[in-house]
Amino acid sequence: MRDKVITISKAARTLGISINTLRRWDASGRLKAIRKSPLGHRYYLQSYISEFVQDVDILARDWVTAPTSYEPKSEMYCRTRDVFQARLEKFQSRLTALAPLPTVSLITAVAGEIGNNSFDHNLGNWPDILGIFFSYSMRTRTVVLADRGLGILSTLLRVRPQLANSEEALKVAFTETVSGRYPEVRGNGLKFVRSIIIKNPFTLVFQTGDAILYLKKDDKDVNVKKADIFIRGCFVIIDFDSLI
Amino acid sequence: MRIQLNKFGTTLVSRPSGKEAWLAFQPSLVNLSESEEVVVDFEGVVVLTPSWADEFLTPLHSRFNNRVTLVNTDNASVAATLAILK
Repeated sequence: MRDKVITISKAARTLGISINTLRRWDASGRLKAIRKSPLGHRYYLQSYISEFVQDVDILARDWVTAPTSYEPKSEMYCRTRDVFQARLEKFQSRLTALAPLPTVSLITAVAGEIGNNSFDHNLGNWPDILGIFFSYSMRTRTVVLADRGLGILSTLLRVRPQLANSEEALKVAFTETVSGRYPEVRGNGLKFVRSIIIKNPFTLVFQTGDAILYLKKDDKDVNVKKADIFIRGCFVIIDFDSLI
Repeated sequence: MRIQLNKFGTTLVSRPSGKEAWLAFQPSLVNLSESEEVVVDFEGVVVLTPSWADEFLTPLHSRFNNRVTLVNTDNASVAATLAILK
């Protein structure tokens, strides 16, 4: 089905903001119009406007904590890695319109590494629904990833049977080169994520099990706390507002 | 020999695609002379992660050791990936 094109006044009504704000956002790249008429009228894709107002972090949290699995909205659900790759490249392309290349490169790499980690560690072992939730908001400048997989503790217990809980597992995953894919010796994906976050104005929230990690620029240590809600798989929010 | 990584794509992020790139490139490495240098060119690569690089660069380095040279590594995620893989 073809996406509907709407006028700037309808887009402004949907978002509850003024037409002038939308014009400013178009100029700054925050929310680009898809085309302008010869007279200078701006038009928008209905799907972009609908997506712009969604709270993707709430949708992801609802999905990852639901007692019974269900399919997320199709545009946020990556059942296989190929779908994730295509969506990630689309995200990269949209980000290119409003951010410099180093920012695009780093955010896409962090999201790509985390999303692919979910597939690497759960392939053939998904407890219920296959695949990951991947979405982003250009309004709040966040990327959200989630999976209903085994979680980091279960994965790392294969190679570190002495791990006592998710808090320890999460700390190990972000600080040591370790792979739950025994007998592989590699496994530095989350160390890579950390190395980028602490050098850039990003923030990262990463939850697995009942452990939650908050990471930001210049953090020396990995601070893991106990979360209020249990998540069997992983739930991640990357905030890149300050980078643009 | 010069390996232009952007011929495998510009968003190089997953292990399976890195492994596939390595396997697909094997025929080109067969006739390499013993002293020939292997130059890996990152020009045009926009996104690289350790997962992809570990499947391509790690075996390449294991096979050719000091004959491997990396060029055009200024891209932000390329530099971050290489720093982790070292």
